[in-house]
Amino acid sequence: MAKGSTRGAGSLRGSWLVSGVVTCACLMAALALSGRGSKAYTAYSLAVHKTKAIPAFARKYGLPCSACHTAWPELNAFGQAFRDRGYQLGNDRDSPIWQNPSYIPVTFRMTPNLHRESATKQAVDAVPGDGTSGLVSKTITQSGFDLSGMDLWTAGTLYKNISFVLLPSSDNTGAFHFEAAFVRFDNLFSNRWVNFKVGKFELDNLISEKRFLFLSGNGGAYQGYHFLPAGDVNDFGLGDNQIGAELSGHSENSYTRYGIALLSSTDGEVNLPTNQGYDAFLTLSHAVDVGSLGVERLGAYAYLGRRPTYFQTSVGTPIPGTGTGNKPFYRIGLAGDFFFGDFELLPFVMHASDDAYLATGTAANVALPPGARDARWNSGFVEAHYYVNPQLVFTGRWETVRMSQQADPTLPSDLGNIDAYSGGIRWYPIMFSRAGLSWHTEVSAVRTRGSAFSATDNVWTTSLFSGLDFDF
Amino acid sequence: MRTAYIAVFAMMALGTSVTTVRVAPSAAGTVSGKVTYTGTPPKMKPIDMAKEPNCAKEHAAAPVLTENVVTGPGNSLRWVVVYVSAGDEGSTPGTEPVRLDQKGCQYIPHVLVVQQDQPLDIYNDDPHAHNIHPLAKVNPEWNRSQPAGAPPIHTKWEKPEFIPVKCNVHPWMHGWHIVVATSHYAVTGEDGQFSLKGLPPGKYTLTAWQEQFGTLSQDVTITGTETKAVNFVFKATPY
Amino acid sequence: MRLHTRLVALVSGLGVLLGTAGVTVGSAQETRIGGVTGHAAAGKKVYRRYCILCHGPDGDGNGENAQWIDPKPRDFTLGVFKCRSTPTGTLPTDEDLFNAMSRGFVTTNMPPWLPLSRQNRADVVAYIKSFSPKWKTTKAGTPITIPQEPALTIESIRHGRELYQKMECWKCHGAKGHGDGPSAATLTDNRDLPIRPYDFSTGSRFMCGVTNRDLYKIFMTGLDGTPMPSFADDIKPAEGWDLVHFLRTLQPLDTPELAMWRAWLATHAGELKPIGPAGPGQ
Repeated sequence: MAKGSTRGAGSLRGSWLVSGVVTCACLMAALALSGRGSKAYTAYSLAVHKTKAIPAFARKYGLPCSACHTAWPELNAFGQAFRDRGYQLGNDRDSPIWQNPSYIPVTFRMTPNLHRESATKQAVDAVPGDGTSGLVSKTITQSGFDLSGMDLWTAGTLYKNISFVLLPSSDNTGAFHFEAAFVRFDNLFSNRWVNFKVGKFELDNLISEKRFLFLSGNGGAYQGYHFLPAGDVNDFGLGDNQIGAELSGHSENSYTRYGIALLSSTDGEVNLPTNQGYDAFLTLSHAVDVGSLGVERLGAYAYLGRRPTYFQTSVGTPIPGTGTGNKPFYRIGLAGDFFFGDFELLPFVMHASDDAYLATGTAANVALPPGARDARWNSGFVEAHYYVNPQLVFTGRWETVRMSQQADPTLPSDLGNIDAYSGGIRWYPIMFSRAGLSWHTEVSAVRTRGSAFSATDNVWTTSLFSGLDFDF
Repeated sequence: MRTAYIAVFAMMALGTSVTTVRVAPSAAGTVSGKVTYTGTPPKMKPIDMAKEPNCAKEHAAAPVLTENVVTGPGNSLRWVVVYVSAGDEGSTPGTEPVRLDQKGCQYIPHVLVVQQDQPLDIYNDDPHAHNIHPLAKVNPEWNRSQPAGAPPIHTKWEKPEFIPVKCNVHPWMHGWHIVVATSHYAVTGEDGQFSLKGLPPGKYTLTAWQEQFGTLSQDVTITGTETKAVNFVFKATPY
Repeated sequence: MRLHTRLVALVSGLGVLLGTAGVTVGSAQETRIGGVTGHAAAGKKVYRRYCILCHGPDGDGNGENAQWIDPKPRDFTLGVFKCRSTPTGTLPTDEDLFNAMSRGFVTTNMPPWLPLSRQNRADVVAYIKSFSPKWKTTKAGTPITIPQEPALTIESIRHGRELYQKMECWKCHGAKGHGDGPSAATLTDNRDLPIRPYDFSTGSRFMCGVTNRDLYKIFMTGLDGTPMPSFADDIKPAEGWDLVHFLRTLQPLDTPELAMWRAWLATHAGELKPIGPAGPGQ
């Protein structure tokens, strides 16, 4: 899902005032409308009575969104087990013949929003309009109403034990790409430990970036899932969907899970743009039920990949798919998902290494720059959620990326280091199996070491975001 | 002499303790009357028992009719339970077992009344199995099979309730167990007549219940040993 | 956070307790299942997250989605449950409810809730018991005694077949257990909704489990609320296993019962009297 990145120009002073007024209005409306006939819901829920139409999995099975999601889109243990089984509930009720005729097997998701982006120490012409006036360092701010990208998501079973996902996704201009598209053969040999998936899919990360609770420009991605040092020609991101095949398995309640994937070295791009090589991704996790605290999950992962450093060319133009001079890289680490009652903690650590050729952008058939080394860095984050109830969650995250070895030894050792902070509230005024609506507010700030002017500058990019995340 | 006194005292003590078996006081009135209807009642239809050949054969000459509204001469209603629903005095607990028979794929009687905790014996007189499934909501709902030749089922109902009873194997079999708190009750016969005896002086509310038309209530006061006439007239509808 | 949660649970649990004008002290608000103690107040939160849209906020099976679902979600206010280890007409044990929730009900919309923590499931059981007043006035039934399963013999299967005939199971389940007996089409449950008898030829899971022992309990306790009665009055405990062994031969599964039955049928099929209405000499 393309996260909302605005291109609107001009700043609106007091945009936060507008946002605040809108907030209060929504809250008052919610309180005024709440309470009728909704005994078990909080006072903040809007009253809904008989409904006629019904959405995707929730309406297919009659379950509330909260049955599978801690707070959608993040999965809870029950939702994880449902997904692992190939979107099968486990009771032979998945076939369309059991469904109500008004069941539509497609979900749309979109987030119109109001947001403000700001970045310090940007290179700007000293005199606007005069390209010869020289560059100065300025803080750039953009704000206004905007749209997010859109997801058009369908998933389910083609047949018993054959499941699928098709997810065309657009950015906020409406330009589409395929975020995910795969077929999965579930429970092969009647064994839940053998499932085979082919297509484009999200890596089996224990902490999924596709299903997390952040949406802003600066908070809506995990730094560690995408970070590449400056000058690195690698294009890999742990949070990018990849194309390949995956063998996976899970225990009956999905407390123990493994995955082995073989992926083309294209970072999920279509049309075979890079080489004929393959990457591998391995993951293993185990969960333990610790009584009243909840379910605690710990996992380990390793991504072992290769990227080409030069191509065959024709009249100087690189020929796609003929990438050669492959050099390796890897990402390995641990991830956890721990519950303490209504409080969830998600820690993550990663050690990354890109080969010196990739990190310096050197073709493998020429010599490395003197002193060039593999680029290595460590990243990690700690994310926390507090679920006041299934319809109200507070989130927070602190993240860091620390270069441990620059490819170019002459560069400062902390160039490119990142510290990121995010916090937000998601409130779901309605959460029935018909549709979902969340009012999502978030604040994020990222500090990056090194600007266009100085390697010791700290560049701050911040986002303030408030949007209505809805799906049906 | 002293033993005689002891004996007399003992007998008196016994006598007082024995009065817990509340014998109806000598001054007691009666309420009697007739239950009738106005309007057009539904027609009772013959039951096709082809699914159970034994019973179809048994009723081949005279098919059994449905029993939810059974009428008699003079617009009388059968199977109406008339009972004291308020102001109950002089009630005695029910100790005699009440018998329900399953014969010819019918419940006999169609409506039976038991008092709370009164023994209820259920017999299967047919050469094939039935299951008894009382659809109780206040009392526990149970479902027991009773094959041909099985011993009677001994049970009882604890709380007052109007319990429909059915047999799942034979879907046309419908009956009622009416559990009452009072010993003053009657079930009307074909003539629609009822008579409640042994009512000490007091104010009573009488309720008449018919399974399709619901309930009607009337208040009646007994002052001595008179017989009060109370009639109930149900509004009948064809469906 | 934990202390706070526990305090809230304790206070609300006390509040619920004090609000109950019931006879039993605390047992209606608590369950004990294999070392885990469930609390109704905590269960209410879990219920809201997972159960409410089918079973309804009042636990009466009238959730928002109930209208689209067949069979309908259970109405907890009646206090009548299908899968029990206790006699017909009695309340199930806490373990019965816990196991039913964990196992789910195949061919219905009730999923297996096994991925929920044991604590969550125990809490929900405690909360479910608060929907019916019967839990306050009556104790759960005493689980039936199930004798040890005897060794499988052909005599056991044959005797089971005789029981199937004599108890007239075929009236609903059909001569071959296809759920097509003469009375099958008119069956209704205690809410007057149509219901089908189990079709052994599908080989699917029973509503109440998968093992021989689960099957034994089904006909020895009956599925309350449905047309399936209890045969505890009519089948002796040891004989129940004979019926279990025969019923397994009706399922297209890889069971020792079916293997033994097929082997015997190969040479003795002519000895069998057909199952169905009693003909002459049966």
